[in-house]
Amino acid sequence: MEKTKRKANWKRELKMLPGYLVVGIYVLFMVVVLAWIFGASLSTSKDIFTGKVMQFESGFHWENYVTAWKTQNVSVFFGNSLLYSIVSCAGVLLIAAPAAYVLSRWNFRGSKTIRIALVIAMSVPAIMIIMPLYTLAVKWGIKGRILLIALYIFMRVPYTAIYMLDFFATLSHDYEEAAAIDGCSAGKTFWVIMLPLIQPAIITVTIFNFLSVWNEFFMALIFTSSNSMTPVGVGLLQIVNSMKYSGNYGGLFAAVIIVFLPTFLLYLFMSRRIISGVTAGGVKG
Amino acid sequence: MKKNKTLIFMFMAPAVITLLLMYVYPVLRTVAMSFFHVESVTAGLDDWSFNGLANYFKIMHNASFVTSMKNFLAIWIVGGVITLALSLLIAVILTSGIRFQGFFRAAIYLPNVISAVALATMWVQYIFNYDYGLLNQLVTALGFDKIRWLGTDAKLWAMIAAFIYGSIGYYMLIYISGIEGIPQDLYEAATIDGAKKTTQFFRITLPLLKGIIKTTITFWTINAATFYLWSKLFSPVQTEGSTIVPVVYLYDTVFGGKGVVTTDAGAGAAVGVVLTIIIIIVYVLTDKLLKSNDLEY
Repeated sequence: MEKTKRKANWKRELKMLPGYLVVGIYVLFMVVVLAWIFGASLSTSKDIFTGKVMQFESGFHWENYVTAWKTQNVSVFFGNSLLYSIVSCAGVLLIAAPAAYVLSRWNFRGSKTIRIALVIAMSVPAIMIIMPLYTLAVKWGIKGRILLIALYIFMRVPYTAIYMLDFFATLSHDYEEAAAIDGCSAGKTFWVIMLPLIQPAIITVTIFNFLSVWNEFFMALIFTSSNSMTPVGVGLLQIVNSMKYSGNYGGLFAAVIIVFLPTFLLYLFMSRRIISGVTAGGVKG
Repeated sequence: MKKNKTLIFMFMAPAVITLLLMYVYPVLRTVAMSFFHVESVTAGLDDWSFNGLANYFKIMHNASFVTSMKNFLAIWIVGGVITLALSLLIAVILTSGIRFQGFFRAAIYLPNVISAVALATMWVQYIFNYDYGLLNQLVTALGFDKIRWLGTDAKLWAMIAAFIYGSIGYYMLIYISGIEGIPQDLYEAATIDGAKKTTQFFRITLPLLKGIIKTTITFWTINAATFYLWSKLFSPVQTEGSTIVPVVYLYDTVFGGKGVVTTDAGAGAAVGVVLTIIIIIVYVLTDKLLKSNDLEY
């Protein structure tokens, strides 16, 4: 977001009017929709169906959020998604960071193959891997939350490793040499000196991993075997499907807002970092 | 720097195991499975019986699969042309010195960071809703009759429109980074020579974005081929012909669903292989057709 202070040149701005219109309408549409959804989350189903969403004649129905959170199990879904996102973000770093470091530092037998494999793995569609993974999970008796956590960690390793590789490559070898002279082991040098040096890259890649795990849907749908391990995406689908019977539309929109909020807030504070990260490093977000 | 073999081994092992366990083995097994008759996805190798290309012939003659491929083509071609053109247009607008461009970029990318399930729910339950939806309010305000946006005829296009709206931000960012990589003096020189903005776009911007356009076509193809979530949310309970896509067909065939009497994991694997081959063909073709320019700038 560059701040360009310049005097209003109305002739110039007028020429750009069509451009303003295109992006303006695009964004206005989004604002209207989000405002309405938020309004609906505070309205009764009757208000929604009679088109009185933004009028709040019977006051603000915050109890919709209580209903969604408690009776519709959103608290469970939310907790699960938070657990999946946080644990897998940490787990990914433990696997990907050392690998990225070694790949950026040394050429060894197979190093080129591994690099290429990581890049290809980033674009392997989930449909090509889920069936054998399902078989393995059943065969080895892995189920519950730990299964999804493991899958999410593995899912994010290629992207994370490739992203970090570029950053490690920019670090000078002087750090390791100085550490070696001081008698620091190579392993310790990595964890204590090298890894903290790429902190900005770690933060960015972790944001992307968090977003991707929080929003993941396909694997969650296939591997979720009980309500107690359901993350928000699949949970919201269940709420939508049961809506025909419960008819609680206010609660539905409250659930939508609850699911929408965490990544939205993250984006609100981190949008610059996220936007520059989309096209930097790896290409895929 | 000295090579430390133990360190290399210890640091690489977890990542290599990940690659083998999560990618290499599953991909190979899926490809193999597509040539066998396998009923249950959990069936051991003993229960596999080789049947050559029969799985492929089976899906080619399956009405649901054929419908799903037609829908895929609609999403891929129509959706692709609109998405890539619109995101390029917006990228050009946002790099032309417009005000608040930082805000516009962030706002237009927003749908990419929020849960697509929440996003799709907003479209289905609000924007396209027949009784109180945004579009029908606009339509009635203009004096027309309400439209059944989610009726059988319109549903596919409603879904594609919603998907496009959410996708544009991502491609816009890719195009912006491409456009910002083009040196400004090319445009200055063109302006001095009296070239109009549109001429500049077709003569400078577009040719220099060839490589980027190639990338976005590949990404779009992957997204269209693996399209699943939106279809599931536009037909949440039962798969419908109007919105079925290959991955939905795959899911129903492998894990059971509407009209599936016996599951067929082998046929599901064949669907996966067909989609992957499509992605690879498109990648190779665009690579051939849109040769990256060797222009130095």
